[in-house]
Amino acid sequence: MTVAGYQIRLLRRTSLPGWKAALFSILAIVFGLLLFSLIFIQAGQSPREVYKQIFGYAFFNAYGLRLSINRFIFLAFASYAFIIPYRAGLWNIGMPGQLYLGALAAFGVVYLLGGKTGDLSMPQPLVLTLMVLAALVAGAFMGGIAGFLKGKWNVNEIVVTMMLNFIAFNLVSFMIKDGGPFMNVGGRGESFELPEAARAPLLADFPYTLVLVFLLMIGIYLLFARMSLGYQIRAFGKSPAAARYAGIRPFRISVLVFLMGGALAGLAGYHYFAAVPGVYKIARTYAYFGDLSFYGMISGLISLGNPIATLLVALLFGGLSIGGRSAQGKLHLGFGIDYALMGMLMISLVAFQFFYHYQILITKKTVPQSHPTMTEDLS
Amino acid sequence: MPKVKDVEPIELHGDIWKHITPGEVILEARGITKRYPGGVLANDHIDFKIRAGEVHAILGENGAGKTTLMSILFGLIQPDAGEIYVRGLQVRFRSPEDAIRMGIGMVHQHRKLVPAHTVLENILLGHPKSKGVINIKDAEEEVVAIAERYGFRVDPRARVWQLTEGEKQVVEIVKALYRGAKILILDEPTSALTPVETERLLESIETMTQDALGVVPFITHKLPMVLAISDEVTILRRGRVVDRLKTAEATEQILAQKMVGRPVIFDLKKPDVTPGKPVIQVEDLSARNNKGLIALKNVSFTVREGEILGIAGVAGNGQHELAETLMGLRPAESGRILFNGQDVTHLPILDRWKLGMGYTPAERTDVGSIGDFTLVENVAMNYYFDNRYNHAGFLDYRGLRQLTERIIEEFDVATPSPDVKIQTLSGGNLQKIILGRVLSREPKLIIANLPAQGLDVGATEFVQRKLLEARSNQAAVILISEDLDEILSLSDWIAPMYEGEIVDILPAAEAKKDIIGAMIAGLHQEH
Repeated sequence: MTVAGYQIRLLRRTSLPGWKAALFSILAIVFGLLLFSLIFIQAGQSPREVYKQIFGYAFFNAYGLRLSINRFIFLAFASYAFIIPYRAGLWNIGMPGQLYLGALAAFGVVYLLGGKTGDLSMPQPLVLTLMVLAALVAGAFMGGIAGFLKGKWNVNEIVVTMMLNFIAFNLVSFMIKDGGPFMNVGGRGESFELPEAARAPLLADFPYTLVLVFLLMIGIYLLFARMSLGYQIRAFGKSPAAARYAGIRPFRISVLVFLMGGALAGLAGYHYFAAVPGVYKIARTYAYFGDLSFYGMISGLISLGNPIATLLVALLFGGLSIGGRSAQGKLHLGFGIDYALMGMLMISLVAFQFFYHYQILITKKTVPQSHPTMTEDLS
Repeated sequence: MPKVKDVEPIELHGDIWKHITPGEVILEARGITKRYPGGVLANDHIDFKIRAGEVHAILGENGAGKTTLMSILFGLIQPDAGEIYVRGLQVRFRSPEDAIRMGIGMVHQHRKLVPAHTVLENILLGHPKSKGVINIKDAEEEVVAIAERYGFRVDPRARVWQLTEGEKQVVEIVKALYRGAKILILDEPTSALTPVETERLLESIETMTQDALGVVPFITHKLPMVLAISDEVTILRRGRVVDRLKTAEATEQILAQKMVGRPVIFDLKKPDVTPGKPVIQVEDLSARNNKGLIALKNVSFTVREGEILGIAGVAGNGQHELAETLMGLRPAESGRILFNGQDVTHLPILDRWKLGMGYTPAERTDVGSIGDFTLVENVAMNYYFDNRYNHAGFLDYRGLRQLTERIIEEFDVATPSPDVKIQTLSGGNLQKIILGRVLSREPKLIIANLPAQGLDVGATEFVQRKLLEARSNQAAVILISEDLDEILSLSDWIAPMYEGEIVDILPAAEAKKDIIGAMIAGLHQEH
């Protein structure tokens, strides 16, 4: 394409340094925020004030920050649950189902120990360990079904995980509502509240699950950057045929990544319902968190499966979901504007990935003198 | 600066091709220049002429600029400078459609046909006549008439997936002719053909030249083909025309030397090696192809240390299934495979690598390598499980990088660094990395599936030399090739395959090319 004597060309990139990828992401966020300003202006609000409210509450208000971090931890687990299968070229759309089951299992431990009606006699560290293990195993089981079916008979993992979401959703409903075993004594369509010993301790106002996020970050980074298993997962993700030729067993990879992914989603369920201060029960609105887990998937996709970059995106979305809701209430903005903003940023981030693959070159058009018959190309 | 109005091919009348006299220049390229982003000068002022009734071969190694030139002539890319004239009229092809309208036909090496459709449907696809209502009957008659005129045997109602590579090529040629091509560009026309099919193609081309068509084969490595087929040869090297000569004045040696830029040894010295004990024994092995049909039928053979068994055959006669079954990529239907006396018939692939079997697949980009991985990560494909590079589950990437550097050096791989993605390498360099990676494990058995196919003269010679080296080091080699000259010059034993069976196993010293050629075409049954 030529404009006013300048030639504009698209070039495919062969490589992209990390700092550039980060720069494009920041530009994408700025672009998305600017674009969404129009909506705020249209609603009669100053975008500057709205963003101040959103970000101020999400990250610079002590109470708001705690809420943001709780969401962040949840999204980080959900994002890792997506990333591990994603690096193997497989799509885990089953975070909701896996986290429901994880939460049920953690509450199941407490229930079996008699924690529904009274406090527990067992020491807290032991209870917590059992709860976390149960959540991991239950999530892994749920994920493992999809991995097994994929590896054994090549059943589409997207369909399986999505359908399992419905099963798990109704299973939770059965357990906590209308006389279900986990039903709250007062009814209310939610589960019993955890006794003191089953509640996760706080470290400097934040649930200890925050530490798990950073341990997982290191672990997953090492898995893919250094370990043989991570190499095999990546090889399988890039080219199943080549991986098979190299002796990597597709069945093993499919099952393993879904076991790991499911376990981490289970952890997300444990975190939100058993570790976030003030919750400590499977809430009536548990489906909201199932849906929220898809933002973990989006953050995994935006960061191209990078376990470190995804945390930044998860933090952004975690904060926005809190700050947006607060701004909506304070400034009387339209219903759902918080999620519309998150959606806008998501689209902007995805659109800017164009620059991961292409660069735009603008050069002054010169016509070689030795070839006077060359014609101007206006196509 | 004077401006010439664009010649719009669309506005031209179809009668540009009337009254052609044989020998007249029908296509001329002047000063074709193309520089790619990054500075690679793929075509540097290339001139050449094609006359009616003439076969003008363009010869060059991979990377010499053939593909670029071909793409420019067919309108796939636009040159930075230079002109193209069709019958003296300056033209500019903005797309292949323009080129086709101007009478240029292209037969791609990688066939661009729809496998599930019939031959006729493929020929009609994209034809201007087929935009509205198609009269299938008339079209079929026309297609059959063209095919008969040039001696092509093809059933217009057959499905393309049922055809051999040679038959698919025929479909592409007929398609181009049906669209009115007067200048036919053939990309590596004989690379997938049997000797018999090649013979037939040469006869068809002969008829085309009688009809005053211009034929332009682009050729990388089949030098005898150039001599047999063409009237004139233009040789490209590094984007420039290095020479142009009448074929009558050329020999294989001259062509190769001009193409590579240095003398090429054609007859590889096969050192004397005393065969040792049997490495692989195959007994009555059968396997199915991807369609579930038995494609490998009761094959038996033994290869010893220091021996090369050449499996000759046309694509699709069970060689591929044989290689995959030996390596465990395909389950054996019946029979056994003994490796150093151990039954490995049902062993997982990884265990076969660990035991010392090695396989270089024919699908280098899809199976043999991972394009998005670096060279180091590709070398890791054969080492991620190896205790030398896997310490308690962690990979020693530094060690792997050193190993990759050694392979790059020993195999003379042209790459800026071991950390670039392997998809940036040319075909020859990719094959060198794959072969180097497999050979670095010092396998006791090497299954080399089409190791030199598509490689240029220099890389072919290198790959073949490495296989002979492995043989000298007492490895057993199974060489699968469609190139009989390669089979004859490298093998100790030759096993021609036809329809999934090994027709015979002959000692190479006694093997005759014509007999093997007949065997792989199914014309020579057991003596």
